[in-house]
Amino acid sequence: MPRLKAMTTGSVPSFLDVILNIAESDTSSTLAFQDTWLAQLKARGDQLVMYGDDTWLKLFPGMFGRADGTTSFFVSDFVEVDQNVTRHVPTELAQDDWSAMIMHYLGLDHIGHKAGPRSSYMIPKQQEMDAIVNEVYTAIQQKPHLQSTLFVLCGDHGMNDAGNHGGASAGETSPALLFISPKLEALGVPQQSPIEAFDDLQYYRTVEQADITSTLAGLLGLPIPLNSLGVFIPEFLDLWDSKPQRLQMLTRNARQLLNTVQATFPGFVFTREATAASCATGADSGIEGAQCAWSEVLHLSSGDITDDATSSALESSLLRFSRIAQDVMSSTASNYDISRLCLGLLITGFAALLVFPNTYYECARSTYTGVFLAFMIVGYGSMMFASSYVEEEQQFWYWICSGWMFYLHVRSASSRIGPSRATDRLSRHGSKLAIVGLAVAQRVVRRWNQTGQKFAAEPDIARTFFPAHPAVFWGLFMITYGDAGYHLLRSLPSSVVLKVGGVALTALAFMFKVNFVANDSPELLVGSSLSKTAEKWPEILSLVLQARLIFGGLVCCALLAIMARYRPGAKHVSNTLLHEALHLFLMTQSRATNIPLFLVFRIAAMTLSSMNLTGIEVTITTLILQYTTFFAFGGSNAISSVDLSSAYNGVGSYSVVMVGILTFVSNWAGPIWWVSAGHLLRPQQGSEDHNAASLLTFHIATSLMSVMAACTALRTHLFIWTVFSPKYLYTMAWATANHVAVNLLGGVGLSSLRSRK
Amino acid sequence: MASTTSPSSVNTQGSPTQAPAEKPSPPPINILPSQLAQTYSYVHPVVLLGLYAYRFEALVANPVRELLTDLPWLAALQISYVMLCLPPAGTAFIEAGAGAEEEKKKVPKSPAGPPRHGKPGYRRKHSSGKISWAGVFAKLMPAFLSFALTSLLATPLIAVLLVLFGAPLTTHNAETVLCAAHMALLSATGLVYVHGVETSVWKEVWGIARPADAVWGSALGTGLGAWFGAIPIPLDWDRPWQAFPITILTGAYIGYAVGSLVSRTPLLYGKRIEFAPEQAEEEEKKTN
Repeated sequence: MPRLKAMTTGSVPSFLDVILNIAESDTSSTLAFQDTWLAQLKARGDQLVMYGDDTWLKLFPGMFGRADGTTSFFVSDFVEVDQNVTRHVPTELAQDDWSAMIMHYLGLDHIGHKAGPRSSYMIPKQQEMDAIVNEVYTAIQQKPHLQSTLFVLCGDHGMNDAGNHGGASAGETSPALLFISPKLEALGVPQQSPIEAFDDLQYYRTVEQADITSTLAGLLGLPIPLNSLGVFIPEFLDLWDSKPQRLQMLTRNARQLLNTVQATFPGFVFTREATAASCATGADSGIEGAQCAWSEVLHLSSGDITDDATSSALESSLLRFSRIAQDVMSSTASNYDISRLCLGLLITGFAALLVFPNTYYECARSTYTGVFLAFMIVGYGSMMFASSYVEEEQQFWYWICSGWMFYLHVRSASSRIGPSRATDRLSRHGSKLAIVGLAVAQRVVRRWNQTGQKFAAEPDIARTFFPAHPAVFWGLFMITYGDAGYHLLRSLPSSVVLKVGGVALTALAFMFKVNFVANDSPELLVGSSLSKTAEKWPEILSLVLQARLIFGGLVCCALLAIMARYRPGAKHVSNTLLHEALHLFLMTQSRATNIPLFLVFRIAAMTLSSMNLTGIEVTITTLILQYTTFFAFGGSNAISSVDLSSAYNGVGSYSVVMVGILTFVSNWAGPIWWVSAGHLLRPQQGSEDHNAASLLTFHIATSLMSVMAACTALRTHLFIWTVFSPKYLYTMAWATANHVAVNLLGGVGLSSLRSRK
Repeated sequence: MASTTSPSSVNTQGSPTQAPAEKPSPPPINILPSQLAQTYSYVHPVVLLGLYAYRFEALVANPVRELLTDLPWLAALQISYVMLCLPPAGTAFIEAGAGAEEEKKKVPKSPAGPPRHGKPGYRRKHSSGKISWAGVFAKLMPAFLSFALTSLLATPLIAVLLVLFGAPLTTHNAETVLCAAHMALLSATGLVYVHGVETSVWKEVWGIARPADAVWGSALGTGLGAWFGAIPIPLDWDRPWQAFPITILTGAYIGYAVGSLVSRTPLLYGKRIEFAPEQAEEEEKKTN
């Protein structure tokens, strides 16, 4: 959506638009009241038609005379979304009542997301697109009413090696742009094709996305949208024969940019007298550069513009001013209020300082653990200052996690050599194996989803192994649900009705997920007997209703768990029942290929519980595993990895709160699971004096502080914000949603259940 | 891990928390007292690092071939080092003067028991700089044993550990195994040569609870160095040496040298990683 905004309003999308983008269906974020070239066309009384992605319909309600939107919810759909556009093309080309037609094809995007740039679907899809281009071009050549049609072919974004987008790599930010019209031959700019890229994916010439708007406005003879930061693409100037027309066009463009500059920098005056002085400093960029360029424009335009030399000079100075103004406006975000940055740093520093004495006390009681924690916190903090480590943050957690496993091993081995030798041999061997089990689990988890930037395209379990071995996947999938159901049954109070309810709930959750897979990633179901079952199912119950039933059942379980704490003799029930309900909920909110991870978690938690961890060790284990599993689920510090597929489970109509919560849960499923599991792992007695909250708060405060410090220190570096803006958003989510809501509030809730037992 | 390198939290051997010793674990090992052994024990890590640096470019260019061709040289260097500088299995306790505890010598295929036999005479002669034939033979058997065990047992074990710590499983298998072989030669040769197959020692090794000495220090250093060696891999410098086994192995070599030199300093020598008593007591309470 931010891309569409750039291409229609000509403004540069901010990172806040990313948040609005996640709230994709939010109709309040429309562009209906913004100045776009579509609105200008509409104002002229022209007819617009649109086919394809229904985001356009949400962005521009009531804008299109004829439209057929396609919902792009399930990215597994490579065919329908495009056929729905293509079938309208011949009829629309035959009509002459429209001035602009938008065709938004989604197939390539879906293939990229689903199968990556090197998938076998890619080439046929591109050939299909080529055929459509051919069809349109032929129509333009042959049909008289299309004679002066300009056909613009562009991608709104590219993709990285994994087929995702939202980052700042060359692949993601270099989509193609092509202007097609028989009239362009007259321009006499012969272009070679194909040519070699002179840089990473750079061919011919790079055009800013915002430039499309002002170029279209110029070519269509429309006023340039108010907030546009675009500059007319100079190659098209030759379409006008008369110099004054060209000059008028460019002047309009430049004046419109000048207005935006003046609105942003009211302190700078752009009169002839005032601006002449700015040239003395010799600046050719920044606001002074713009002033200087404008004074040149004023100087030249006061001269004789019928003179060829003067008008050419004026043309180039207009373009120069426009470019500088565009640069100035695009980088307005880099006006930093240092005092506020420092204030933020101070507040987090204060928070860290508040919990420091408590943390120090905790660490001083068990020196090694404290040293490890300090090492981890210092390592994590310093990592923030290297942008490639921010991109590859999962590597740090996997690395620390393996180190922590080693630590746990040494600790348990040495405590066994020590006084607790009395324990029988069998259990000693048992826990020796436990550490191996834990290490294997840890190793499997880290290869589940390749994430980050550098290794994103490497083979992994969820996206490479499972599609190739669906039988293994479905086997694990069923075992995971069986295990979840078994544990749920065991933790339910012994009543026939409740047990039957538990079985039904698990079965429903299982069917829902199979059904969801049938819609979302049917390639996993191909050839398995489950697919037939799934085909019949949707007619009985819609996905939304199924999800609601599951959520309702889980709420019942949670209520049971809370009630159980008042019942005498129902020991253990409340916590384990709550954990099992949460387990099922998180499974429902996870991608199907990630579901077997819960089985791995279960094994890891079982081995951990056999190791008799102390309170502080449980806290650190939970902390490390929270981060490790977040990344293992496919999370990263790039916006492109936000998983929205489960965000609408059980939600009929869009609601920011519900979708927000579900999105958070489906992306933070691993961390939430480990908070709950950590509470079960906590030693039964002697845990009152351990203050997990202060330790976790100390960690989150220091990590916030280091992110802020890194942002402050590196703010002027080139491209740093493409890494740090999403990182900062993620850190905010970690600090507010995960730490405050899950760790602290959830922790308080869980321990209150526990203390009443 | 960080905790293991922290001197502040290391208890000396024989602290009250030490196990009630039914069978005292072998004490730390000293380098042989001869001038040659003492000198070479310092030169050896430096030589290894020097050779590693010398071959580094070739290693980056073609890791598998280079690691393979280096393997015999490393083995020869390591074996000559242990034979020259370290007391062979079975002599260690007497060497350190720790006690008459009869070590259950289990060097299997040496029924003649030459180590025990040849030891006293050998040591006296050694200090005079001459090496008797019997002495050489007494060292050859443990050396052979250590080489065999290192290549047959330690290499696969370390390869498995490497994978568990994150080495690729489906690709780069040759690199992993060769890296493991190098690490095994660095870490295990000395340990097997000095301790043989003494169960109590290997239990301590498994629990990372050996007292610090040149042998154990270098072994632990190898492992820790390899762990730290993983740090530069994710950086986006796109250098060829960031490929999988190179940084790990570099870390291992550096860790080996540092560990072997640092752990024989008086500050660390003989100390072992021990959990704080309070924590051990908590442990005790819980298990009961």
